[in-house]
Amino acid sequence: MAKILFNHVYKRYGKYKEVAVNDFNLQVEDGEFLVFVGPSGCGKSTTLRMLAGLEDISGGEIYIGDTVVNDFSPKDRDISMVFQNYALYPNLSVYENIAFGLRLRKLPKHEIDLSVKRAARVLEIENFLERKPRELSGGQRQRVALGRAIVRKPQAFLYDEPLSNLDARLRVQMRSEIISLHKKMGVTSIYVTHDQVEAMTMGDRVVVMNKGVILQVDTPERLYNRPNNIFVANFIGNPPMNFIPGKLQEGSGGLEFHTNRFALLLTKQHAGQLRKQNLIDKTVILGIRPEHISFEENEIGGNPQSLISGVLEFGEFVGSDRYYHLKIGMESLLIARAHPKYHFNDGMKVTAAIDMEKALFYHKETENLLTD
Amino acid sequence: MKVDMRLQGKRLVYRFEDWLAAVRRIDRTQIVIIIGLTLLSAFMLLPLVYLFNHAFKPLHELLLFPPTFIVNEPTMQNFTDLMALTQTTFIPVSRYIFNSVIVTVLATAGMVFTGSLCAYPLSKHKFPGGNWFFGAIMVSLLFATEVISIPRYVVVQSLGIMNTYLGHVLPMIALPVGVFLLKQFMDQVPNELLEAAKIDGASEVKIFLRIVLPLVTPAMATITIIAFQTAWGNAETSTLFMQDDAMKTLPFYMGTLTSNLANSVARQGAAAAGALIMFLPSLIIFLIYQRKFIATMAHSGIK
Repeated sequence: MAKILFNHVYKRYGKYKEVAVNDFNLQVEDGEFLVFVGPSGCGKSTTLRMLAGLEDISGGEIYIGDTVVNDFSPKDRDISMVFQNYALYPNLSVYENIAFGLRLRKLPKHEIDLSVKRAARVLEIENFLERKPRELSGGQRQRVALGRAIVRKPQAFLYDEPLSNLDARLRVQMRSEIISLHKKMGVTSIYVTHDQVEAMTMGDRVVVMNKGVILQVDTPERLYNRPNNIFVANFIGNPPMNFIPGKLQEGSGGLEFHTNRFALLLTKQHAGQLRKQNLIDKTVILGIRPEHISFEENEIGGNPQSLISGVLEFGEFVGSDRYYHLKIGMESLLIARAHPKYHFNDGMKVTAAIDMEKALFYHKETENLLTD
Repeated sequence: MKVDMRLQGKRLVYRFEDWLAAVRRIDRTQIVIIIGLTLLSAFMLLPLVYLFNHAFKPLHELLLFPPTFIVNEPTMQNFTDLMALTQTTFIPVSRYIFNSVIVTVLATAGMVFTGSLCAYPLSKHKFPGGNWFFGAIMVSLLFATEVISIPRYVVVQSLGIMNTYLGHVLPMIALPVGVFLLKQFMDQVPNELLEAAKIDGASEVKIFLRIVLPLVTPAMATITIIAFQTAWGNAETSTLFMQDDAMKTLPFYMGTLTSNLANSVARQGAAAAGALIMFLPSLIIFLIYQRKFIATMAHSGIK
């Protein structure tokens, strides 16, 4: 078990030396479960592969423990990796697949046998040890891949989208199994995924990446409630956050957010912060999560300056909630989460209240967060 | 392991039922196709039937016109003739057979070994000029053997390996078809497997021997067959590089049996027997590897 440190790591590819990973700085704590998340091509897998030693590092240093591992071959880095397509050796039985790494390290036979059986028991694959990988289902194969990883007791586990090939139900199950495995073993783990739900549910901390750059490293709660910029806000959460462009103008009751169709009164705290940054009469972008838009009568009655009226385009019923897509005269529809007891018909005129305490304001050009 | 007879029986019944269901689904066009293909394969089989029968025909049947397919009075006379024939000359036929076996085994092993060693880096390791290198190997497929026999002769001569087994084996050892087939197969092996093995701690040699080679066994089987055919049927090295008769191989000897004689009538029986001896090992090798051979052909899209 060890800390992992990325110090100004770069990766440049190909003829034109395009930058795939750009000035990557990060410290992974001992025993932490860290998730890299981002759209495909954002450099998250490349970063993981550089750590594993499968890609060269174009610049910077990677430390495992106190050692710079830049020039170490994968086998000398003492890490293990789980691949998206399992990467089980098809010609070897499950037992031999798990034992492969131990045999290469020339461990005594009885020790190998003990380790393999113990790993198999933990992962509940004891009954398949004699089978070939192709005789197993997807979930079982991924367990074998996990077994191959844990049996060596490495410094760190690397997961490269390990659940993407599984069906939805199995994915949820394996997700919790990986987490409980991590709790049991306490080995530093880095998990790459493009699925924000996986990232949010699994990570102690989550690293959001785009175009080779780290956008935010935070706990799932902070990432959800206080995304640093529009990209993160948009990427995390489903359905995504609503963004409304508008102008900040001083009104009678305080600072107001104006669009052509409606005006919303800002909280005193937000108003203060935005005034300090000289953003009066400038265009900003207001971000609001669907659950902070409400149809509750007492809230709609409460503050007339936090109301938006719109026409209901359509509703989506997802069991515990209902999502309403409202036309409010903007380019995109406003998505609001409501209790299923509210049942509106398509085309109805409705009024929704915005919880301005929860509103976030972003700069129009830099797309960075302006308020706390 | 104890075999459960009832289970086995049940399985047989199921298999029969599956077969019946398949038969019931056959429609008219399929019947036409099946009959057509059956006739065609029977037709393809004719030379083999002829070859087998011919070897056991007595002299008067051998020269019969029109020739018969099926032997009437089978005899081993042709084989004894073949053996006896060479007792009058310096070199007994067993020496040619021995040479052929040695050369074929060495050359086949050599072709498969170098072919796989060559294909692996071409497929799995990107290096500057790799594609160019592969292209050069492919271009070498285009040359007819006659074109390169003179440079080959010069090379073999200056290496000083005339009249040695190495003189047989070395000119044959590069098998571009084999490199091509193996490379195509290795391309299909997912890179993640090699990466997983690397992380598990395997060296390049271990990855090659324990992961890559076992995964391309169908291609290896195919190349074994091709290499065997090439080596076993090869008379060229005997003709060009072996002045010593004791170093020549069976295919060369077969050629001298008939074609060197003016009217090509004499020793027809011995030639027929020799032809069967030449053919049998190929058949055996093919039967052993046929399943994998067909898998390769289906895979590579090569007919």
